[in-house]
Amino acid sequence: MIPIEYYLSLSAFMFIVGVVGVLTRRNAIIVFMSIELMLNSANLTLVAFSSYLGNPIGQIFVFFVMTVAAAEAAIGLAIIISLFRNKKTVNIDEINILKW
Amino acid sequence: MSLNFILFLIFAFIAATSAVLMITRKSAIIAALFLILNFAALSGLYLTLNAQFIAVVQVIVYAGAIMVLFLFVIMLLRPSDEQSIFDDNPKLKWLATFVGVLVFAQILAIIFIGRPSDGLTPDLQRSIEVGTIEAIGRELYTTYLIPFQSAAFLLLAATIGALILAKKKLED
Amino acid sequence: MSQPLAYFFDSLYLIKPETSIIGFLVLILLYDLIFKKEKWLPYISLFGLVVTLFLIIEQYGYNKFAFQSSTNFGMMAIDPFGAFFKIIILLSSIIVILFSILSKELDVARDRMGEYYTLIFGMILGMFLMVSASDLILIYIAVELVSLSSFVLAGFLKNDSRSSEASLKYIIFGGVSSGIMLFGISILYGITGTTNLYEMNSLLQNFDSTNILMILTMILIFAGIGYKISAVPFHFWTPDVYEGAPVTITAYLSVASKAAGIVLLIRLIKSTFVSQKDTFGYWEMIPAFDWQGFLIIISILTMTIGNFSALWQSNVKRMLAYSSIAHAGYILAAIAVLSDQGLVGVMVYFIIYLLMNLGAFLIVIVIKNKINSEELEDYDGLGYRMPLVGVAFTIFLISLTGIPPTAGFIGKLYVFIALVDAKMLVLAVIMLLNSVVSLYYYVRILKHLYLNKPKAETTDIELSFSLKLFILVLAVPNIIFGLYFAPILEFVKTSLIILGI
Repeated sequence: MIPIEYYLSLSAFMFIVGVVGVLTRRNAIIVFMSIELMLNSANLTLVAFSSYLGNPIGQIFVFFVMTVAAAEAAIGLAIIISLFRNKKTVNIDEINILKW
Repeated sequence: MSLNFILFLIFAFIAATSAVLMITRKSAIIAALFLILNFAALSGLYLTLNAQFIAVVQVIVYAGAIMVLFLFVIMLLRPSDEQSIFDDNPKLKWLATFVGVLVFAQILAIIFIGRPSDGLTPDLQRSIEVGTIEAIGRELYTTYLIPFQSAAFLLLAATIGALILAKKKLED
Repeated sequence: MSQPLAYFFDSLYLIKPETSIIGFLVLILLYDLIFKKEKWLPYISLFGLVVTLFLIIEQYGYNKFAFQSSTNFGMMAIDPFGAFFKIIILLSSIIVILFSILSKELDVARDRMGEYYTLIFGMILGMFLMVSASDLILIYIAVELVSLSSFVLAGFLKNDSRSSEASLKYIIFGGVSSGIMLFGISILYGITGTTNLYEMNSLLQNFDSTNILMILTMILIFAGIGYKISAVPFHFWTPDVYEGAPVTITAYLSVASKAAGIVLLIRLIKSTFVSQKDTFGYWEMIPAFDWQGFLIIISILTMTIGNFSALWQSNVKRMLAYSSIAHAGYILAAIAVLSDQGLVGVMVYFIIYLLMNLGAFLIVIVIKNKINSEELEDYDGLGYRMPLVGVAFTIFLISLTGIPPTAGFIGKLYVFIALVDAKMLVLAVIMLLNSVVSLYYYVRILKHLYLNKPKAETTDIELSFSLKLFILVLAVPNIIFGLYFAPILEFVKTSLIILGI
């Protein structure tokens, strides 16, 4: 089989891209998409290890992570909608009554 | 080079490029489409890892349900293209890339020094077995029943939360 | 019936408190849907909490695994240590629900109070699971259950853009830190091949040096826990969320979810990283990760940055946010001792922190009800217009500083003794200096209350009898426990048992 380090490297790459996305983007929706990317990089690691170790726990974990990701996306987008009603924007740095 | 390795390279390339393109596109819709491409590539990678069930769920839940939700909200709110933080100061882009590459190199070094593969004796037959719906379902509904139930309450809380945040006031 | 499923039914009696919380969650939801009478909701919630409290006291002595898998290690660890913190969480929930009845701020949301209490119960369920969970899958879900419910509660006043903004910042920070934690967990799973903390412990026994992957993993996982207890450098969300969220939720986040995070950290350290050789007194650690050094650094950063940032705040809620960061630092210092004595310090501190911090927030709520402001300038001269509130606030603030004869002094004293006994004098001195710094901003509130001239008219502001009683119920123990603290110590010492192998 392919060495597991290859999968881990790809996963680390996607994780870093996700973090950079969170830190550099202003559009809250894209920030949430970057968070999804981070969760997916962790999923890749879990599935890779699960397959190489030959135990299903990792894949069960991925199943739960997907549940949580769906719930988090739903709440995050609801918050964005509710904020959009008040402020008419989804850009994070225009949302600044409170100091960052 | 085995077929598996070639498939890995193709999917990994698609996943990595689409991730980078996702965070660099100005338009939210294009970014969402690249994220869907990334998820599809990940699903392919799961197949190279013999995780059939997760690969299918990845397409149905992530690319199907979650991303449709994102696209729906983008269409609903129609946000204008954002002013990137790099427009004021283009040098910042290189700083972000540099820091990103540095941290990536660090994690890479840790992975290759730590060599998690040392203790592993991968078994093809076994890895095919654990990826089936039967194997996952059996564990999920016996050992992991409590997390499963808790996840149900997580979804309940999320549904209630999303409803009260997104609905308009009754008086309006 | 397969074996794990048989274990499942055998263990159901161990999760009676969780079951009761679930039952009342569903009851509140249905009651709200069918009857739409929000008046009775808080009383149903209070009844549910009291029932749960009895169920916890009933199973206080248990010390075993629930939901064992084939490896004999279970999904949840039911032990007196967990029960202790479940009681703390329940007490703070009861007080916060009483706050919610009082608070005028929530009046705009009266038509959706059913969801408010449902989500609070969701949070309680999540925190209970966080306190007991000994499997990373359950831990992850529990953390997310608490987080998701609190994101919504922080944005509950959705027509107030401050509240929605707080909620957005909260969910972005929460999402990122749980993503980081998940990445750490995924590597930890790869190293050990299991997600059960106790099973991991038996696998880690033969690690005799630090492992570079393990260091990476633990720092990543700490991001998730540190965000829950608002430890530096994962504290950035705290001031904004505390300022923007409804006061009741701020009070709740500052005590209950912090307690759950602390228990998670202690359980992670104690059940995964303690060597099986000797667990009496000072914990013998597996050298895979240097918890002591790591916690000392985080603790010093947390208390110092918390206290110094609090110095120039003009909003009382924001100041209390930074003060709660500083208190998290003191608690982390006690954990860093890595001994049973340090644990006593943590637990004594938490009982007292519950009383003094919720007390201070109650005063903020009362003042906000009367003058509709949380700005320090608007507090000028209030000590004379509301004598009882002034005196009670003085007690709470002195207690938060940690000056005798208040209870806060006893809390700090036990942390201090643990540090000195473990010869961690530098940390002890830094903690002492930090307390001196904190005196400045707590006294600054008192100066506004008593020494500054009031701007507006100087009529007295009347409080209802029940409100006065409630203030006294929180204020008086702050004095009593400062002088007579033997019962607390007794209770803590019987709850010191953490399920080991």
